[in-house]
Amino acid sequence: MRVAERTTHDAGAPARVPTEPAAHAATRPSRRRGRNREGLEAGRRGTRALLWVLLATAMVLYGFPFLYLLFTSFKTPIDTIAVPPTILPREWTLENYTNALGRGGVLASFINSVQTAIISTVLSLVLAVPAAYGITRYKTLSGRIFIMAALVTRMVPPVAIGIPLATMMASIGLSDTPIALSIAHTTISLPLSIWLMSSFFEAVPNDLEEAATVDGCSRLGALWRVVIPVVSGGIAVTAIFAFLASWNEFLFALLMTAIRSQTTPVVIANFQTQFGLDWGSMTALAAVYSIPVILLTLLLQRKIVAGMTLGAVKG
Amino acid sequence: MTPPRPAPAQEAQQDRRRPRPRPAEEKTVRISDRRFALFLMTPAALFLAVFVAFPLFRLVADSFFKISPIAGGPRDFVGLDNYFRAFATEAFVGAGWRTLAYTLVVVTLEFALGLGMALLFTALGRSSQIWRTVFMYPLMIAPIVAGLLWKFLMIDNFGLIGTLLHQAGVLSNPNQIGWLSDPNIVLFSVAIPDIWLTTSFMCLVLFAGLQNIPGDLIEAARLDGARAPALLFRIILPLLRPVIAVALVVRGIDAARAFDTILIQTNGGPQSASETMSLLIYRTMIRFGDPGLASAMGTLYLLAMLTVAFVAVSTIWRPGKDN
Repeated sequence: MRVAERTTHDAGAPARVPTEPAAHAATRPSRRRGRNREGLEAGRRGTRALLWVLLATAMVLYGFPFLYLLFTSFKTPIDTIAVPPTILPREWTLENYTNALGRGGVLASFINSVQTAIISTVLSLVLAVPAAYGITRYKTLSGRIFIMAALVTRMVPPVAIGIPLATMMASIGLSDTPIALSIAHTTISLPLSIWLMSSFFEAVPNDLEEAATVDGCSRLGALWRVVIPVVSGGIAVTAIFAFLASWNEFLFALLMTAIRSQTTPVVIANFQTQFGLDWGSMTALAAVYSIPVILLTLLLQRKIVAGMTLGAVKG
Repeated sequence: MTPPRPAPAQEAQQDRRRPRPRPAEEKTVRISDRRFALFLMTPAALFLAVFVAFPLFRLVADSFFKISPIAGGPRDFVGLDNYFRAFATEAFVGAGWRTLAYTLVVVTLEFALGLGMALLFTALGRSSQIWRTVFMYPLMIAPIVAGLLWKFLMIDNFGLIGTLLHQAGVLSNPNQIGWLSDPNIVLFSVAIPDIWLTTSFMCLVLFAGLQNIPGDLIEAARLDGARAPALLFRIILPLLRPVIAVALVVRGIDAARAFDTILIQTNGGPQSASETMSLLIYRTMIRFGDPGLASAMGTLYLLAMLTVAFVAVSTIWRPGKDN
């Protein structure tokens, strides 16, 4: 399970931490396991019980907002804005869902969101995997400059490049298409993907593809047949983050899409202005949009862990 | 992050030999390794050049022009005029301070809560694993949804938070606090969804950092009679410093760029009390149709972010001094 922590950590922290290192942690699972019991882990039974109570309270507080969103989505439209509000629906109904999904453009926006996110994920991976490999394996000056430049791109406020990007897309005839939006989303996810992949490649021992080259593989062949399979877990993590970055993105979608390629976040935001304050439908649509990614990520987590463990064993 | 380098030409020569010391006869292979690395990086570099660097260049270039919002309209070179106009407007200066306040509030609270949760998870050890996963869930939620959700919780009249506080006897009237309508507190209210969304990130990073602290070190300190506060401030936090630096910088940059959550909750209002820099630039560009002024604001905003980030990285992180 230690490996799991590494995974989530690396996945969450784009910039690499000097002392941190997927590689070492993953390659020495046995040593690490013993450490905590004697270290920061609480020992006494009373203390532990108290901590569990604390954790339960925190989890309830933290989970409540989303549960309230779900409950609200099952209320009747009138109950949604009742004063005073109730937590649970007085009457459970799917009315909000049928209202929200039946509205023109909502289903199309789902398809747009899926399309845009998939194109952007593939594009990010195709560009980031070789680049990250080039950076970590050969450690050239150009690689160091490149990763610094990628770091700087992360600081660029999207609002600053959104308009020039939209103008560019219009001038090459791509305005209001999923392709244009997924390119814009890739400007966000590519730097992130390069860092993530770099830290995963860092964990792969050099000997692995050196052995492959000795056996007659070309360098590209070694990358494709030997290194990529070892980091497949890392690629999965990176793909999830690239997918989420696009799926949840709002500003570029707002600036670059009109009717044809509008994604769901823009539609959710538009509910507020176009149809007055239809809270019921909005909560329903928000739930429909969020639950698949929450479930997907939680489900895939095991796979990612398995992939990482496999990579770790090789080390 | 990289040490200061000598002249580039010299550097390039050294670099051929440096990476992994190998027997001398492989020098020729080394050179083509460099080419191969370059070949691998080129597509991504080209992509970033075309779709990030070029728009940025356009942004900076536009900031020196007075531009008509109509496509194909006139463009007049006005020098630094847009910059003077930006600093002369109360909106720009105000948005700058609000962005700073917003970022500080978000990052400080996230750090405190995230560290608390990370310590809690560490103290509970392996048995808390499932809850760590559950705790991650807000990271998957779209900021626009989070903003909407919290707006719904805090909204006047039928917001649940006011009602619950009223029922608990804290407030005499459910609408006593106008979370999103009182200009004095709205900037803090709009920060709540952001904090809710990404405390998990802070927690995950700090948790991973905590796992790297050798248990024997903690044991030794305990045997020397160190109590919890001393352990935290003398040992844990100093050892976590590089991790903390990265977490704070990454989250600080994101918080300073916050847009979705604020737009959906208040659209910058009431009376611009929650208008941060991203919103102001957006409004200047789209609503007021002044791309030149918006570009000047965007350029200043970007420069400020770069400066703060580099200062933060070099002071908190201090590469080399810790290792």
